[in-house]
Amino acid sequence: MSNKRVVSSTINGQQVEFLTEPQQSLLECLRDTLGLTGSKEGCNDGNCGACSVLINNRLVNACLMLGIEIEGKDVVTVEGLADVHELHPVQEAFVLEDGLQCGYCTPGFIVATKALLDKNANPTEDEIRFWLAGNLCRCTGYDKIVRSVRLASQLMNDAKEGLQ
Amino acid sequence: MTSKIGVDVSRIDALDKVTGKALFPADLMSSDMLHMKILFAGRPHARVRSIDVGKAESCPGVIAILTASDVPVNEYGLINCDQPVLVGPGSNKKGADTARFVGDQIALVVAETEEAAIKARDDILVDWVDLPVITDPYEAMKPDAPMLFESRDSNIIKHNKIRAGDVEGAWKNCEVIVESIYHTPWQEHAYLQPEAGISYIDSDGRITVEVAGQWVHEEQKQIAHALGLTVDQVRVIHPAIGGAFGGREDVSVQIVLALASWHLHERGISRPVKIVWSREESILGHHKRHPYNIHAKWGAASDGSILAAEVKMVADAGAYEYTSAKVLGNATLQSTGPYDIPNVSVDAYAVYTNNVPSGAFRGFGGPQGAFAAESQVNKLADKLGIDVVEMRRRNLISDGSIGQFKSVYPEGVTIRQVVEECADRSNWPITQVDNSLPSNIRKGYGFACALKNVGFSFGFPEECWAKVELHGGSEIERVVLHHAGAECGQGAHTVFVQMTAEACGVPIECIQLEAADSALTKNSGSASASRLTFMAGNSIRGAVDLALENWQSEERPAIGEYKFVPRQTTALDTETGECDPNITYGYVAQRVIVEVDIETGHIRVVDVMSVDDVGRAINPIQVAGQIEGAVVQAHGYTLLENLVSRDGYIETAQFSNYLIPTSLDVPERVEAVILEYSDPQGPWGLRGVAEMPFLPYAPALIAAVHDATGIWFDEFPLIPERVLRGIDHSVYGE
Repeated sequence: MSNKRVVSSTINGQQVEFLTEPQQSLLECLRDTLGLTGSKEGCNDGNCGACSVLINNRLVNACLMLGIEIEGKDVVTVEGLADVHELHPVQEAFVLEDGLQCGYCTPGFIVATKALLDKNANPTEDEIRFWLAGNLCRCTGYDKIVRSVRLASQLMNDAKEGLQ
Repeated sequence: MTSKIGVDVSRIDALDKVTGKALFPADLMSSDMLHMKILFAGRPHARVRSIDVGKAESCPGVIAILTASDVPVNEYGLINCDQPVLVGPGSNKKGADTARFVGDQIALVVAETEEAAIKARDDILVDWVDLPVITDPYEAMKPDAPMLFESRDSNIIKHNKIRAGDVEGAWKNCEVIVESIYHTPWQEHAYLQPEAGISYIDSDGRITVEVAGQWVHEEQKQIAHALGLTVDQVRVIHPAIGGAFGGREDVSVQIVLALASWHLHERGISRPVKIVWSREESILGHHKRHPYNIHAKWGAASDGSILAAEVKMVADAGAYEYTSAKVLGNATLQSTGPYDIPNVSVDAYAVYTNNVPSGAFRGFGGPQGAFAAESQVNKLADKLGIDVVEMRRRNLISDGSIGQFKSVYPEGVTIRQVVEECADRSNWPITQVDNSLPSNIRKGYGFACALKNVGFSFGFPEECWAKVELHGGSEIERVVLHHAGAECGQGAHTVFVQMTAEACGVPIECIQLEAADSALTKNSGSASASRLTFMAGNSIRGAVDLALENWQSEERPAIGEYKFVPRQTTALDTETGECDPNITYGYVAQRVIVEVDIETGHIRVVDVMSVDDVGRAINPIQVAGQIEGAVVQAHGYTLLENLVSRDGYIETAQFSNYLIPTSLDVPERVEAVILEYSDPQGPWGLRGVAEMPFLPYAPALIAAVHDATGIWFDEFPLIPERVLRGIDHSVYGE
């Protein structure tokens, strides 16, 4: 009966093989099959961004993709950002600027912010607000999230300068 | 030693939340868990003649299908047990065979997978008899209206009256009278985490439900009632909660999860049961903010003194009571605002209809009442040619004021201070004209203020429990705080830890929190009514004082357990409304600047100043977060969020058609100004903050739109279509 397919891809830097039904969304595969519950379901129709992940460095809603579509691709979820010893600067910035309340939307915002800062190291406030308009937050009113993104940009730039 | 309160401390749950490690109910997994789906009524008013589960039961993977006859005591409710757990024939409760709104729950399907549960749910055959659908509360109030409940002779749940002074006699002394009919809309909570949970039998044999709620002990009580068990046989745990805002004050999946686990246990199946609602199920399945119709007639003398206020208001409570009677009390209080008015008459009704139930939502009746009251004051000022801040100076309450309830306001009334601070900081009255704007853009300034109670009102029992353990030898090395208060995202647990550290005089790192588990804590009340920091702070201080005494007597660990009970409030007198309604209040004033595009009807909010007296900000960055978040929720309520319900069917049950603000739809600037005038009853002088900034926003924004366009909008959300219609009417007439 089962139409299950094997998918192999890289998730958070690790080579992974998993089984999926062809109609299963990437979000279901991440959460239910792979146990990566950091990506959240808020609407399952692409309106809230709580399931934001990176696929080959592109920001997507995992609820709008099928698991089989990530064959051979490189996926980054919120679980893949911090290393064992320290937070990613985006995560650090959200902690310092209190850019979260209930935290359900937070993984999506953090992944979306990383995608933005990888493309644009010094976004303006307008660019930040425009980029994050695909992620809903019902708690914060967004100001502290925008401040978190600005601090993240600064932390990442400082780190780069430190390397030079 | 440095203070642990009054400082920005990072949330204690921040690390888990930014790394994705925090576990919300839907994240709780178990390899042997079963999945549950609910069959909803999908009809606004209909009787179930019979349910045929034969075909559904034979679906592969189905473990159990439960209907009304499987519920031991088939009723529940926070105030009044008027709702069946499952609607259908064969239960022990009269009237439980009737669905009264589309979201009534009919059957539970437990299966090996969610897909199997969905398939079987869709194979359940229900034989319905449709009944007359009543969705207009005014129709529902009529004596000959069809009754939602056979056992009742009226659809009116509650009628509150205030009779103070002589309203009829006062009109002749009024220079101006303003009469308006206001309508406020439904609002959906739209917390990002849809309802979900997991249930199982714990190692002590208790039915255990892990779920997002606002009050573990109330949820425990309601589960025990419906299952015919004692509360000790039931355990409720809150994992991470993905927002609440009042929307989780009434239960959603708690009882049905417990019912499923109890049923499986009786059959010898010991596997956890999990349920996750879709966004659509969440929007159809839980209550909304009440829509209100408010008919207000107010009069003032030529010097601006408000002499009389007459208010008639009707709330659409929807199909079940939930907290409607309590919300109505607060709306009754709010409908004449923070003003000293000698002659007041209020008639307020909450009425059953076949719409989605209405209930708690940040502000709890306050935003509706305040919209009418503040708009009335702004209109009176406009008619008299008196500035709106000056108008307030002439009418606001102060310490010692005796309001419409004929009781003295609790000491620490600071509405005048917040109004003056907001006026000062925004250079009110604002007279400069902006000549740089294009001809289609009109700029306007609006002002409003409000009070909001801290704690349960009108005699509802109020208490908060805490237990503290002090560990160590000669010095306190470690402190364990047990507290049941819910962390819904507002930061409650972080301020609990701060307040415990402050009271014990130890670093924050020494505090360990055991929270929100009914097996480990006693009742601390709900995360609602802007009460939790206030009540928890008082309970923590009491527990720490007792623990420190025991520490002095060399008890190790030294334990202090304390139940804080604030001063008793009283219920409204049924004829006059006389009572002592609230423990205390927080106060707020707001100034809003808008630009209205009179060609498109689009409103841009340029700047918001919110001045809030919070008594003492335990964690200022979190307090600012509450103000910013409340303003943006109120912004959505006023401009954007348009719940469409037709004949009892909700037509906007997705985020694609029920729009909440994104980062682009918010005010361009929100300035949160925190004032700290001590409340004599508050721990460290604090009041509350969660709801207050929501209240004045709609009337302040609508006053700004009036300033910009000359048009008073008495109904919102101000979607562009409504704004344009208003502009057209003012230009071309009706």
